[in-house]
Amino acid sequence: MTVHNLYLFDRNGVCLHYSEWHRKKQAGIPKEEEYKLMYGMLFSIRSFVSKMSPLDMKDGFLAFQTSRYKLHYYETPTGIKVVMNTDLGVGPIRDVLHHIYSALYVELVVKNPLCPLGQTVQSELFRCRLDSYVRSLPFFSARAG
Amino acid sequence: MADVVLFEFLHAEMVAELGARDPDPGPGGQKRSLSVLEGTGFRVGQALGERLPRETFREELDVLKFLCRDLWVAVFQKQMDGLCTNHQGTYVLQDNSFPLLIPMALGLQYLEDAPKFLAFTCGLLRGTLRTLGFQSLVTSSVATLPACKFQVEIRKS
Repeated sequence: MTVHNLYLFDRNGVCLHYSEWHRKKQAGIPKEEEYKLMYGMLFSIRSFVSKMSPLDMKDGFLAFQTSRYKLHYYETPTGIKVVMNTDLGVGPIRDVLHHIYSALYVELVVKNPLCPLGQTVQSELFRCRLDSYVRSLPFFSARAG
Repeated sequence: MADVVLFEFLHAEMVAELGARDPDPGPGGQKRSLSVLEGTGFRVGQALGERLPRETFREELDVLKFLCRDLWVAVFQKQMDGLCTNHQGTYVLQDNSFPLLIPMALGLQYLEDAPKFLAFTCGLLRGTLRTLGFQSLVTSSVATLPACKFQVEIRKS
């Protein structure tokens, strides 16, 4: 079981942070385009899911999976989006993504007066803590599964 | 918990606002913003100096201990980690994890911006000392975040 990569977007679609741990295949397009593609897809899926839902919406879009990976999604009321790609053995990780938002993003970026909001995060501390946190997750193994 | 965050955000905005207001981005403007911040801290410290102490202090060292314990706990929810003195009016107060620096970095990133976030607190110390009867000079230094030191020199009147 493993974590492939992680994206963090703000409400305007700016990619605040991207980290990867095990990614065997790249998208084949420049990183900027990849972020736009990811954000655009999320935007579309969210609105699709809420329109086509046969029941009243509760949490909205949570995850999708293919035969090789699973994409987990978490959005805060302020529009911050946490997207994590893992392999298929990983179950719902809403609490993990919420922790990344509240204990890492809010504590180390929002509260850091030297990190301007709405731009890519430059804080080394944030990058390090996020990396340690992801590596400490029970479903992260150092060997790609 | 929410109260602590209010002060942290307000302080961060004060530093940012003063830095942005000054038309001179060079060292002259920086010094002006730092002294405004220090002055603001001084007035807050003077008021806290009236409000916080529970007992009279017998000697200078007791006042410094008050700063390290009661004042620091009231403002930053922790005590100062170390106090050294040469017993001739100079004191060094060491904080190994200063709350206003903790979210910024662990190490050397943002080191050159760190002094801006210590100016208010230097004034705070100076103001509290003033109310308690001591003229002083308070400066600060940062080697690695989030640890910092405050140097207090008591002026002989």
